Amino acid sequence: MLIHRRTLIKATVAGGMAATFTGCSLLPRKTGPQPERYAGAVGLPDGRFGVSAFDRSGNVQWQAPVDTRCHSGCNRPGRKDTLFFERRPGWSFYVFDAETGQRRHRIMAPEGEHFVGHGVFSPDGRWLYATASRYQPGEGIVAVYDAEQDYKRVDTFELAGIGPHELTLHPDGNTLVIGLGGILTHPDYDRIKLNLDTMQPALILMDRRSGQIVGRFAPAHHQQSSRHVSVSTEGKVYVAYQYQGPLYERPPLLARIEDGQLREYRFDPETQAALGNYIASVVAHPENDLIAAASPVGGTAIVFRGKTGELVAKARITDCAGIQTLAGGDFLVSSGQGRLVQLSAGQAAKDIARLPVQWDHHLV
Amino acid sequence: MQPITRLFFASALLVCTTAALGANADTQAREQWHGAIQNGYESLATKTEQLASAAVGYCNAPTSDSRPALNDAWLDAFLAWQRVRFVDFGPMENNNLSWQFQFWPDPKNLVARKARYLLGTEAPVNAEVINQSGVAVQGFPMAEYLLFDEQLNSGENALPAAKNCEVLSAVTRHMARNARGLADSWASFKQHYLDTGPYRDTTIKAGMTALEILEERRLAQPMGLRGNGKRNPYITDAWRSGQSLMAVEATVAGLEKFYLPGLITSLKTDGETELAERIQRQFEKVADNFPEAHAAMATLMESDERFRILQGLFVDVSQLSTLINDEAAVALGVVRGFNSSDGD
Repeated sequence: MLIHRRTLIKATVAGGMAATFTGCSLLPRKTGPQPERYAGAVGLPDGRFGVSAFDRSGNVQWQAPVDTRCHSGCNRPGRKDTLFFERRPGWSFYVFDAETGQRRHRIMAPEGEHFVGHGVFSPDGRWLYATASRYQPGEGIVAVYDAEQDYKRVDTFELAGIGPHELTLHPDGNTLVIGLGGILTHPDYDRIKLNLDTMQPALILMDRRSGQIVGRFAPAHHQQSSRHVSVSTEGKVYVAYQYQGPLYERPPLLARIEDGQLREYRFDPETQAALGNYIASVVAHPENDLIAAASPVGGTAIVFRGKTGELVAKARITDCAGIQTLAGGDFLVSSGQGRLVQLSAGQAAKDIARLPVQWDHHLV
Repeated sequence: MQPITRLFFASALLVCTTAALGANADTQAREQWHGAIQNGYESLATKTEQLASAAVGYCNAPTSDSRPALNDAWLDAFLAWQRVRFVDFGPMENNNLSWQFQFWPDPKNLVARKARYLLGTEAPVNAEVINQSGVAVQGFPMAEYLLFDEQLNSGENALPAAKNCEVLSAVTRHMARNARGLADSWASFKQHYLDTGPYRDTTIKAGMTALEILEERRLAQPMGLRGNGKRNPYITDAWRSGQSLMAVEATVAGLEKFYLPGLITSLKTDGETELAERIQRQFEKVADNFPEAHAAMATLMESDERFRILQGLFVDVSQLSTLINDEAAVALGVVRGFNSSDGD
């Protein structure tokens, strides 16, 4: 049954803050050395915003209020810092104690810049790389912070382009993989897209030590806004698009670097339509060759094989956006209605739990 | 044929027939929407053309008669826009057309800042300058500022001052050109719109979003029902001309005329005739608040007695919003999500 936001809010206020499980009693374990908890930016039933962390039993471990809606975040390797970035245009990011949710820092963007919702750490947990924009000239940058010095800004790398969004670190430990959406916006003009005719989106590879761009890949069409990225353990680089052209056109929405260029994935027409020209997140599984992508606009999440492009799972999940990789080879997809759904290759999607929050885009 | 097989075929046939009916009804709804919106866009094209002509006419021969006619032409065109403002997809998405017609909200008062800049330049303000000046310059709020801003119109740049006339003519010409282009593009868009199933939900969501903006940002917020609780008529649109509530009336009338028929078709196909009728009646209830609520919002905020007129309107709009955004949306399986409406 579909539940409207207001109905959901009423239900969640009445139901208190704990998960409702479906057929199991624990949230599945994440892959690798990630923390056991699930954290995400959330919309709260009363209209305010926060960052929420749930333990695997589905209980709220902590919930921290934030001034404005946040988007994504990252965990600091080897330390107990969990960071969340304000949604674009983000004027700050927050550093929380990963175990208690206590706010350790709130780092404001320097004058003339804003964050765009994403950041990633160096493997040793010292350097934080955050995508940002100098909004007057419309220049995309990577802002570098030293976590050892209470997140002091120490460097700025130029992207020679507009609208960077998600960035992640290649398993080589040195290359930043950056989605450059190509869309010009300005805080004075709300979120109006100012350059749809002249966009130049790109997938960018950058040396994180020197800031030098070592690879730049343009999608086939200039309106395939390259917003989200992921890298497999073997170093296969994936990018997901949000197509800015009309809905009746159905261009590919996912691609990976292969033989020095972007190889696009096109699925059957029904699946292409179900993705609504909009992918909110793409995640490569570290244990296999599977890739998951979620479209809140189309209310659909898919899993496909990286090598062959074969579609191996598809599920209708209203307002789905966040994706987490699970130990054993599956994915967990979160939705703006608080649902957590497990996706496995060749199997029907499984509802795991329902949490009383609106999960914002990305799970951390 | 064995009974069980017969039953299977009979039920399969029923499923096929129902699915075909649904698909036909979806197409029928989209045909209704397309035709209705085309009418709305044609009206916008006509009214903005008349506004551009009225601006030139007044500036060439400013008389005490032609000034009210110019103000009326602005209002007529603005209300034509309000009636189709809910359409946030299709050709409207090209070049930020919607924002070009109405840059709002404008918390930094960019319209006034840009107007002062243009009025202060010595270089001619022509079509190219307007093209290059951004959405705050290109639509109704800018024309409204030039026509109605009290401070401007009590100074040396008051209409029919040459510079003001130059800017007003260029802006209204830009609007007329956009409106004509929009109506033509919408006509060309027809086949895509009819062939593309997801446009049903897109259209239904457009009306839902318009109602939410109407309820929350154009009424609740200025009325002080949200946030700090202070009444502030200046955060709604068209406050300079005092036409915020005329605009509300036109938005609701536009939804009733151009949106509701297709919605009713969809609801009735899903067996929701009773809900469709309740929605129809609620539109009438909203309309009944007028003409009493035609006053400027600032005027209605001056006393509690007058404020009650505004409250009555808000309650009726809010109920309409609940009927469509909660009940109809759920009945039709249309969901606007926390993430799907975010754009990141």
